[in-house]
Amino acid sequence: MLNELLTRLRFFLARKAHREVDEELQFHLDQQIQANIAAGMPPQEAQRQAVIAFGGVERAREECHEQRPGYHIETLVQDARYAMRGFRRNPIFTVTIVLTLMLGIGATTAVFSVVDRILFRSLPYAHADRLVSVGLVAPIEPQEFMLGGSYYDWRDHQTPFAAFTSETGVDPCDLTQGTPARLSCASVEANFLPTLEVHPLLGRNFTAEEDRPNAPKVALISYGVWLSHFGRDPGIVNKLIEIDGNPVRMIGVLPKDFEMPRLQAVDVMLPQALDEAEQRKADPGRVMWAFARLKPGVTIEQAKAALQPVFDYSLQLAPLQFRKEVHLQVRSLRDRQVHEVRLVAWVLLGAVIAVLLIACANVASLLTARGASRERELAVRSALGASRARLVVQALTESIVLSLAGATAGFAFAELLLRIFIAIAPKGLPFLYKAEIDTRIIFFTILLSLVCGALFGLAPAFHKPRAQALAGRASLAVSHAALRQWLVVTQIAVSMVLLVGGALLFHSFWNLQNQHLGMHTESVITARISLGQRNYGTSERRMAFFQQLESRLRYGPGVKWLAVSDSLPPGGYHRDQIYARIAVAGRPKSRGGTGGQVAWRWISPDYFRALDIPIVQGESFKEEELTSNGHLLILSKSLSSRMFPDQDPIGQRLQLASSVPDDPWYTIVGVAGNVKNGGLADEDEPEYYRLRRNRPEDWNGSSAIIVKTTLPADVMERWIRSQVATLDPTLPVEIETLRQRVSQLADQPRFQTVLVGFFAATGLVLAVIGLYGVVSFLVTQRTPEIGVRIALGATRRDILRLVIITSLRLIALGTFIGLIAALVVSRVLSSLLFNIGPRDPVTFVLVTLLLIFVAIAATLIPARSAAKVDPIVALRCD
Amino acid sequence: MAPATDLLQGTLDLLILKTLALESMHGWGIALRIQQISKDALQIGQGSLYPALHRLEYKGWICADWGASENNRKAKFYSLTRTGKKQLEAELEDWDRLTTAIALVLKQV
Repeated sequence: MLNELLTRLRFFLARKAHREVDEELQFHLDQQIQANIAAGMPPQEAQRQAVIAFGGVERAREECHEQRPGYHIETLVQDARYAMRGFRRNPIFTVTIVLTLMLGIGATTAVFSVVDRILFRSLPYAHADRLVSVGLVAPIEPQEFMLGGSYYDWRDHQTPFAAFTSETGVDPCDLTQGTPARLSCASVEANFLPTLEVHPLLGRNFTAEEDRPNAPKVALISYGVWLSHFGRDPGIVNKLIEIDGNPVRMIGVLPKDFEMPRLQAVDVMLPQALDEAEQRKADPGRVMWAFARLKPGVTIEQAKAALQPVFDYSLQLAPLQFRKEVHLQVRSLRDRQVHEVRLVAWVLLGAVIAVLLIACANVASLLTARGASRERELAVRSALGASRARLVVQALTESIVLSLAGATAGFAFAELLLRIFIAIAPKGLPFLYKAEIDTRIIFFTILLSLVCGALFGLAPAFHKPRAQALAGRASLAVSHAALRQWLVVTQIAVSMVLLVGGALLFHSFWNLQNQHLGMHTESVITARISLGQRNYGTSERRMAFFQQLESRLRYGPGVKWLAVSDSLPPGGYHRDQIYARIAVAGRPKSRGGTGGQVAWRWISPDYFRALDIPIVQGESFKEEELTSNGHLLILSKSLSSRMFPDQDPIGQRLQLASSVPDDPWYTIVGVAGNVKNGGLADEDEPEYYRLRRNRPEDWNGSSAIIVKTTLPADVMERWIRSQVATLDPTLPVEIETLRQRVSQLADQPRFQTVLVGFFAATGLVLAVIGLYGVVSFLVTQRTPEIGVRIALGATRRDILRLVIITSLRLIALGTFIGLIAALVVSRVLSSLLFNIGPRDPVTFVLVTLLLIFVAIAATLIPARSAAKVDPIVALRCD
Repeated sequence: MAPATDLLQGTLDLLILKTLALESMHGWGIALRIQQISKDALQIGQGSLYPALHRLEYKGWICADWGASENNRKAKFYSLTRTGKKQLEAELEDWDRLTTAIALVLKQV
């Protein structure tokens, strides 16, 4: 085998001269002629017979030549060179194709690099396909979690997992040594990294002893911290750092690509050091998140079934009202990470592939048109002995050269698009900040462009040049036109689907943006401040800080109303409690389920004025009540009408945590209008407000200052910052206008709307260009016919109608197919849509009209030029 | 003369190798020899002989040298290489197996 390869290589490098073959064949012929003469033939006849006996001399020579190793490479190079020559001769044609491909391939590459990690790329753990997230789901928390009270039972009695581990979340912590910094500290069980099969880059993992309460403190640091704080010093292992004022021994460094399974940012990893015995007894115990590695061959369904007994056991210990609402959840880690964005990712990928299809169809159509004008050339080559295969290979080479050029331009375009994506992307889209064009993406793009090239190259390539083409008359190329018409129908249909998707998302986004929030966001500025544990360890200190800040801000310039609250509507964090735990004075305790969640906030008296929330009954909290001992409450309208459907709520008394023995009774003083509190798109929860009095127990670490101002936002922002800085210069403040906050909540819908809208517009433009191309091609081909018609008395109007009817047939067919496809496909969007059905008739009608209108406009240009055909010129030409 | 039998697909290589096993020869000679030995029953397309020779040469089974022919003209002489000899044996064995198998089937049915 090796021998043969070497021989081939030698011949590939040292080519045989053409002359050798010629001489050899000539020798053969001469011998035959001599033999014939010897047999008694006259010389001329001898030569004739010799050639007949030999067969085609030229053919034999060619075939000898084709045996050469490297012959195929040679033809390929030859074809590519020929293709380049052709493209240089026709630069506009070439640039159009490369630009179209750049759009298609570039957009696909950019979107692929964004969704790759969400949908396809494997997680950065060894054998990540066997990692699962395990836990309970409840109405309070739809993402599975565990409770310390059950976790250890599950861990001891589970059978389907090879390893079972937990983390207890990531909390802010302070590096209090050298340059102080706020870091994120993750707490994990000792077997956390081994379960994920992650090995520290440096040093070692925690031991089981270090994961006990009161064990000497140890930590693993992230690669980022190792780089930024320790300059990648390999000698840091076993050194001490100070975290939150305590010395901690660094025992290792996490790998560079390490990710927490729930994707939280992490700088330092600590053992969670829970007291196992205490947790087992506790009810409900510490909230934690559990992950497991499936034993080989065990499926997720089997694992879930196998966990059911321990789950049922845990459930029996839970309060009755919870039992029906808590479920067991076992799902792959990838599902846990991308649950919300998977659909968006697929929609984006689908949309961009649709654009790519339209682009490919356009290129195929252009190449077919070129094929029609090159028919004569192809016929000549065919007549000179080029085989069908040879012509097909040549056409494919041309299209692949084109698509590789498109891919190269596409890379640049993709880089640009990716930057735009990252700039407009919402925070919640996982992995986007990591998206980049790496070798994997490049490989994907090259593969994609080859597929594209084959796709749009094959269509014209299989068109057989006909013998008439040799005759020199311009042929009608009917079959070319038929293929292009089908391509256009497809393009229109695909862009119809894209447009419907884009329009639905846009309509939904519009609904989202223009809904009534229940408050007014104009000229409201919010400043969120989170006090660290170190300087503000007690509630007295926290209250003192906020009261000082409030008094500094209150009479400042341009402050109309000032309020302090612990959280802000309409989305994001707020406090929650279970409805069933609220007891009404004089009524028996409820015995149903949990009754769902009730949101609540600590507020200061001017909260409703600052946000312009109407008090619909009773009155707001008063300034003097801040120093009272009374427990006062304001309900939202929805909570009030649920609790007191036909009673006056004012003056009613409630217990908020009825299960706690001496929970105080709260008196309802007012009812406020409903305010969105579950984000923009989600269901709202009923809500109540508690007055934050001048008592330390009412104050916790983080608060938001709400200022209704008459000054411009940036002036106000600077002033607030300066006031905070005079109190504590190291304190971070997060200042935004309320409008910005609301707008951020719409980031993800905006992102998907902008992207799909962009793809729909691109698709439409490409499809319209395709339609224009085909119609003008048809017009050019029918010029003599149109000339005859005009000569015979057809009016301009007749000609216009003739052309438009041809194109209308294409438009109608494409729109019709597109409508049906859109009706089928739009259903996948339903969960992304807000206040609009996936088959919203208005959207469908508008999109159809838009498409038909634009398409007809594209037809009018060639149609008018057809109507202007001069019969004399038309009949003379050709 | 009985009508010449078309060569079975792939047997041309075998015939060339076998012919060259005796002595080195030029293309014309090979064609002549095959025709003579088979008593004109096997008619090789002379045109297809040369691509086959070139193919075998590129595979390294035969090698070519320029030499003088019987009537003192410059001619290309082909001879078997070591790999070629091994290949011939292998192909002969294959051929035997094939023909025996076919013969068996033909007798049976």
